[in-house]
Amino acid sequence: MTEMFSRRVLSRIGAWPLAVKVPLIVACLMVGIAVMISQVVLSRLVKDQETNLSLLTSAYLDGISAAVTPSVLRADVWETFDALDRARTRYAGVDARYALVELPNHTILAASDPVRFPIQSRLPAELERHFPQKDGLIIDSHMGRAWLARTLREEGFSVGRILAEIDIADLLRIRHDVLLTLVLVNGALTIAFAFAGYLLLKQMLQPLGVLSLYVERARDGNVQAIPERHRRRLSREFDRLFSRFNAMATALAERETLASRLAEQEKYAMLGKLASGMAHEVNNPLGGMLNAIDTIQAHGQDAEVRLKSVEFLKRGLSSIRSVVRAALVTYKADADISVLTPNDLDDLPFLIQHEAGARRLRLDWQNQVTEPVAVEATAIRQITLNLLLNACAASPDAGTVSFLARKSQSNIQIAIADEGSGIPADILAILDRAEEVSSPPPASKGLGLWTTARLVHRLGGCIDVDTLRVGTRVRVTIPLRPEKIAA
Amino acid sequence: MVPAPSKREARSRSGISRRDVLAGLSVAFSVGATRARANSAAPISFGINPLFLDSDIELLGKLQGYLARRLGQPVQLVKRRTYQEITALLLSGQLDAAWICDDPYAQHRNKLSLLAVPVYRQKPLYQTYVIVNQASKAKDFDDVAGTIHAFSDPDSTSGFLVTRYMLALRKTTPNVFFRNFFFTYGHRNVLRAVGAGLAESGSIDGYVWDVMREREPDLVDKTRVVYRSPQLGFPPIAGPKSAAGTSTSRGLAEAFMEMQNDGLGRDVLSILQLDGFMQGSPDLYGTTAEMLRVVQAQV
Repeated sequence: MTEMFSRRVLSRIGAWPLAVKVPLIVACLMVGIAVMISQVVLSRLVKDQETNLSLLTSAYLDGISAAVTPSVLRADVWETFDALDRARTRYAGVDARYALVELPNHTILAASDPVRFPIQSRLPAELERHFPQKDGLIIDSHMGRAWLARTLREEGFSVGRILAEIDIADLLRIRHDVLLTLVLVNGALTIAFAFAGYLLLKQMLQPLGVLSLYVERARDGNVQAIPERHRRRLSREFDRLFSRFNAMATALAERETLASRLAEQEKYAMLGKLASGMAHEVNNPLGGMLNAIDTIQAHGQDAEVRLKSVEFLKRGLSSIRSVVRAALVTYKADADISVLTPNDLDDLPFLIQHEAGARRLRLDWQNQVTEPVAVEATAIRQITLNLLLNACAASPDAGTVSFLARKSQSNIQIAIADEGSGIPADILAILDRAEEVSSPPPASKGLGLWTTARLVHRLGGCIDVDTLRVGTRVRVTIPLRPEKIAA
Repeated sequence: MVPAPSKREARSRSGISRRDVLAGLSVAFSVGATRARANSAAPISFGINPLFLDSDIELLGKLQGYLARRLGQPVQLVKRRTYQEITALLLSGQLDAAWICDDPYAQHRNKLSLLAVPVYRQKPLYQTYVIVNQASKAKDFDDVAGTIHAFSDPDSTSGFLVTRYMLALRKTTPNVFFRNFFFTYGHRNVLRAVGAGLAESGSIDGYVWDVMREREPDLVDKTRVVYRSPQLGFPPIAGPKSAAGTSTSRGLAEAFMEMQNDGLGRDVLSILQLDGFMQGSPDLYGTTAEMLRVVQAQV
């Protein structure tokens, strides 16, 4: 649970902007350095203070020892007290809370605070444990006290001990003040440097934001070079980066233009291909129609023959008109029909009937679109026609090509299935890559599919390829644009 | 026996600069009085017992300055830690005179001549006080039994003899009556010891206690008097009986008794809070002598 939480926190921190992360890291480093420096300064201060205290207390004890030793030898209470009492205020830097002389029998000869330590009494046990067993100094920073002990010797024999408790609150206050100063100064510096770092880095990373914006636009298909106004006062690195991006953007734009031209050429190549089929489709009724005209010329007086021949002529002309009109709609230059009618789909079979007829293919046509749909009709027709032609080409002779179009609340879906052996992997890869702006058009085969995929991508749709038990089904889903209907 | 006057007060009443005083003292305390006077130009040696306060350099300087001018001779002031040392010097003729306690005078009055007696509050008399710390519950002399007691000096009347006499009357001794006792060799020290709590009770010169009450109230207010002795003869100025009637002896006596007529002398008297000096009678010290007799009888 904790690990998951910390992982989530880390990933969230990882997503923070560089302008925040770097100053934060700098601040953290500075805090670390500040802590380290403070530690060094304080430990040095503590060491110096303890050394000074040791020297001061040693001088203090030297003075008192010299003053009291003769009195201690005589067990002179007054003289010992007098020396301890006078010493209280005569040693600068040593704030003795009390000092006392303990005789070898552990009774007190005299103390600077005789009320607390009456003569002939013993040192309370709770105080006894604070003092060093031998001569020396014990410092307790928590209690703010230091305890001193010095043996008084005469001719090598111990005649008593001086014990003193020193108040080291001043030393601790200095330590506290130094610590406080260090924390305040380092804290202020850390905040100042972090803030300055943030501003500086934000300024430095501004070009990255611009670059990111233009890269984002390029990803959405709107490839633009970074304008000159964003290139003022740029560092050399960013200037070089911008130049490279602009070169890339120009190359992409050129490639896009080339791709559009290729698609256009592909359209007209298909037109040529269709034209021959259409010629055939037009030619077929033409033979019958000429025969009908011959029949009218020969037997025009016969009303029934004349009527049948004219009907035949009409059907032939109607068939030709359908083929011509379908071609005209599909390849009309700069067509921008934003609403697709059911008929826009239904006349497509006329354009593939030559392909289908030559292969004796059966067309299973189900157009469930019954009302106008807010999609770009020209693009949909080109997509559908491309897929139908591919399906016809992929299907075996006398096979079936299925077409299903239906509309939902949010999109229109067109599914075209064939009974062929499936789409080769390299052609399938074209469909996947075609959505990428920078994908190059295929070298030889698959240009129709590549164009289809790009058109679908432009309309915001998607293509799914299903491998069936027999054959392949390609499903194109295009989102609707309701505002077009309203308009 | 003389309290510590404040230095500020002493300075304000002095006609002599600090430099003069210190210069005089450097001569006065340079050596002990170890030789007999050979001629009138030789310094007069004057002993001062430790009742005088150690710290009062200016007072001593004024006294030395006054005596030297008055006598027309250099004067050496001789100080020692104990009464006994001054008494020994005086009795051995190494001092021309000394301001001693009434106890040594009473002990050695057959060997000493009385030169002058201080007049305090119009009388040549003073009292002994037994004091306790303010925190003590003692109300009278007997309540100090079992306490740690601070005496001044074994040869001091007020700082030892009177209390010792009171105990003798009770058929007891300090070792028995008190839990512990010690000597501080100075009345001001007795005050400090009792005030600080080092001792629970103390024997002190009543004159010192009264004067210090005005000058160091913070110290004196930590103590309280539980016993006041009968009036005793004030510690006198005395000289060896062998020198009685000499010009030095007479000069010293006159210098003290006429002190109030001199500006510098009045400064000294003012610091000491004395009215002056008078020709005293050995009878003044009868009570002290009686106390001595009782105590010595017990030993």
